[in-house]
Amino acid sequence: MSTFKRRPLSRRTFLRGAAAGGAIAMGLPLLEAMLSPKHANAQAGQLPFFGVFYWANGLPWTDKHGGEQATAGHPDHWTPAEDGTYTPTPLLEPLAPFGVNVATGLRPVTEIPAMPPGQGDGHMRGFMVALTGDRPRGEDFNHSAHYLTSRRESIDQYIANHPRFYDPAAPPRYRSIEVGVSDARFHTYGHWNAISYNGPGSLNLPTMKPSALYDRLFGVSLGVEENQRRKLMLDAVLADAADLEKQLGATDRIRLEEHLDHMRAIERRFEASTMTCAQPDRPVNSDDLTEKTRLMGQLLATAINCGLTRVFSFMLTSPASTHVFNNLGVPDGMHKTCHDGHWQRVYDITRYQMQAFATFLETFQTTLPDGETLLDKGVILGLSEYGEGWKHSTNELPALLAGGANGKLARGVHARAGGDNASYSRVHLTALQALGLGDESFGWSGGETRDVLPGFLR
Amino acid sequence: MPNTLHFKPPRGKRRRSGALLILSFLAALASGCQGDVTLPENNAGANTASSSNNGTSTTPVKEEAIEPAPGPAVVMRLTEAQYRNAMEDLFGTGLPSVALEPDTNPYLFFSIGAATTSVTSHGVEQYLDSALAITARVFDDPTRREQLLGCAPESIEDPCVQVFITRFGQRVFRRPLSQEQITRWHDLGKEIAAISDVNTALESIVGAMLQSPRFLYRRIEGTQGPQGNRQYTSYEMAERLAFFLWNAPPDQVLLDAAANGELQDRASILTHAQRMVEDPKARAATQDFFAQYLDLERLEHVERDPARYPGFTPGTSAAMEMEVRLLVDDIIFRREGDIRTLFSSRRGYVNSELAALYGVDAPGASLVSFVPVEFSPESKRAGLLTLGAFLTMNAHPTETSPTLRGKYVLERLLCQTVPPPPDDIDLNLDPSDTEPKTLRERLIEHRENPACIGCHMLTDPPGFLFEHFDSVGVYREQVDGIAVDASGALLGANFANATEFAPALSSDPRLSHCMVRQLYRHAQGRLEENGEEPMLDAIDLEFAASGYSFKDLLVAVAASEGFRTYQPGATP
Repeated sequence: MSTFKRRPLSRRTFLRGAAAGGAIAMGLPLLEAMLSPKHANAQAGQLPFFGVFYWANGLPWTDKHGGEQATAGHPDHWTPAEDGTYTPTPLLEPLAPFGVNVATGLRPVTEIPAMPPGQGDGHMRGFMVALTGDRPRGEDFNHSAHYLTSRRESIDQYIANHPRFYDPAAPPRYRSIEVGVSDARFHTYGHWNAISYNGPGSLNLPTMKPSALYDRLFGVSLGVEENQRRKLMLDAVLADAADLEKQLGATDRIRLEEHLDHMRAIERRFEASTMTCAQPDRPVNSDDLTEKTRLMGQLLATAINCGLTRVFSFMLTSPASTHVFNNLGVPDGMHKTCHDGHWQRVYDITRYQMQAFATFLETFQTTLPDGETLLDKGVILGLSEYGEGWKHSTNELPALLAGGANGKLARGVHARAGGDNASYSRVHLTALQALGLGDESFGWSGGETRDVLPGFLR
Repeated sequence: MPNTLHFKPPRGKRRRSGALLILSFLAALASGCQGDVTLPENNAGANTASSSNNGTSTTPVKEEAIEPAPGPAVVMRLTEAQYRNAMEDLFGTGLPSVALEPDTNPYLFFSIGAATTSVTSHGVEQYLDSALAITARVFDDPTRREQLLGCAPESIEDPCVQVFITRFGQRVFRRPLSQEQITRWHDLGKEIAAISDVNTALESIVGAMLQSPRFLYRRIEGTQGPQGNRQYTSYEMAERLAFFLWNAPPDQVLLDAAANGELQDRASILTHAQRMVEDPKARAATQDFFAQYLDLERLEHVERDPARYPGFTPGTSAAMEMEVRLLVDDIIFRREGDIRTLFSSRRGYVNSELAALYGVDAPGASLVSFVPVEFSPESKRAGLLTLGAFLTMNAHPTETSPTLRGKYVLERLLCQTVPPPPDDIDLNLDPSDTEPKTLRERLIEHRENPACIGCHMLTDPPGFLFEHFDSVGVYREQVDGIAVDASGALLGANFANATEFAPALSSDPRLSHCMVRQLYRHAQGRLEENGEEPMLDAIDLEFAASGYSFKDLLVAVAASEGFRTYQPGATP
């Protein structure tokens, strides 16, 4: 791990480091590192938000992915021809109205330990690098059982826990919101089921129904007395749990501490729960991916606009998705379709997923009182699990950066990385700097980088 | 025994997202494609890094004498089913069912997910919402409220309040409360009573208890055990037995036994376990185990094109799951027979849809009524692996998957490891738009790739045995005009087809040993450690001696040394 980063550590981060056998190297004395610096540059109404938009099974293959893909003779409908301002390619065309930035030529450059075997698997390595900037965790990796976890938090949680992102004195109602759209799952456990990690073994499962997300965000507002009652109940539970920690081992202590942290966050909501913006209507659920994307997007955009949260992750389809796109005339699950080498079908599905991304971005185009759109204020990182599905190549791991980051992020730029400077974490670092978080590097296990993508920042 | 059974959905809410069974053929490949073809005898392919059985080798595990040692203790959070069963025990039926965070099933079992995953912030909110909804229902109904409280207190200082907290708290937390805890809950009541009324105060005490980690987690203190190991306390054993055998909290008999310091030796545990497996709750819990062990959840999201499979409707996969549940219940609790016959018996349970799919006469069957049928020798069906559930969930919408079917037999049923693939391999089968070939030919051609031969030599030959059955389990003589060849092999032994394979599989000692292993994992909430292998062998012997009675196996696991002792200081 890089030691030049000076990121204050939450108590949980510290506990995790201790549980992992001191894997967290600290450049600062512990106590000092745990003190968060005061939020410096927040101005009301100008606070940027961050989101992850995830889609499954990467891109259609072309010769850029190398290997056998190079001889398949399929055109590259993703990579723009020019650096800088680019002419949208067929797959990027749905996103053109939003001035999305695209980085190509990125790939995981993290080490692949030989044992336990299988850690180079495209699904596992590509996913983990795209989401966390690190390789999968080796300690409990089991390829046969398709079981793996992360070594650290995913980029959305890294930002949500970043002391320069949220004012520690006034956190929003929800630190982050996780939602998902397609119900199809390769497995119902681990990262096959969720994309947002708090740390090893700790995933934030997505809310899958628009109505459930609505109820969570905008459900009945309570009277003062009921709020007081709930707060007293939670107080009592926390007091009752106070002496439990010492009965637990390190890993379970973290699980309990997380549970109690969540209770404290809920308790804070009962202290100040006045809603300051108009509530939307309760949505009627839909099974159509695009419609569900639109409903979820509207709720998220409203939540951000209302100051309920400033971080989200959005899982359109889950890793190695088995979703059957029969609306596109594809008879098999997406993952099998990729492996069976049906290029045209994979192209159609990818284009459909980019159209869904566009539908999602459209919900952030609401014009605000200052004349800007919500999208102008945020950064939305679009990513997938590998470069292409056919052979699981992680070359050309796709990266999109949408939004304006309050003017710090350029719009409509293509940058092509490659050679020795292809670490996928360049896109993470670019997002962090667009958000003004002060990070000078990002990435672990060989993926460390100090280089942002050229032309992306203003 | 009644001849007609009425179709009821399985107990508990259907889960949100059963892993689709449309696992890609090549997804299966992604889990193993290299090395030689020798299988370890004893390896489950799913082990922690702290154990040497972690699927890292394809050479046989040496039969060295293993020093017996218990594994670590794990802290499990209640699964959703356990939470709901606890609510029913505490308050009776007819409660509101607020959604809870879905359980996850790494290594097949919810108990392992319950021991390794963290609850999310949304999950904690759901615990709150659920507790509030349930307590509101109970306390808004004066009859229910009085029944629960055992009195009608006029004020929060009424002596019956402390009596209630003591009695009810012990049932919620599955342990007696300390005086300090009793005072704390009473103080909460006093605070609420100050801003509201006494009923709201009691409702709030109950609602808060239901959110306490003391209720939601099964924590472990332990006591000094034999040979420097730790042993679970009486109360811990009471809840271990109850959640394992009933998937529900301990009853008063178990709590009383714990209060008397029982459940600390094999004889005492045997007595209780034998009582418990005769309780109807054991029947439901056994169904829950089989659904996980056989991975039936995957049936839930099966999609099939109606034009291609006219006999398959959106309700068919639920009927397939019900058939397995009825068969399991029939063997274990009605006939009290050899559970291995699940894999060889010519009996099925069909509703009208399954009868049509199987092409059998089933008088009395309707969409919602299942009747037992005996498959004739001509029907080519014998055992679980020739029934709709297995055949459908291990196939693709457009074609079958010998690889997935073979992998299921090897991994789920025989606890064999399929090794991981090299890091960058060609996972492509010729797309079907090239010259027409049978699936078998395409797979065999694929095996010519040296990187893939290892895994495919393992998975495909047993999978070919089921080629007479299409992606929804319909029998077929031909595919695309070519006669089906259903010959195959399992680990070197050749078979002509699935019906010939069935008796060999059911009597294979690896099958029963693997069932022991899977049940042990389910019971423990973790994978076994090397030191537990002798304990598994001992359970296996008891299982065999009982004539493979599953009820006796439940008792044997409950009473085994590995279930009542643990390694101090070790975390999995």
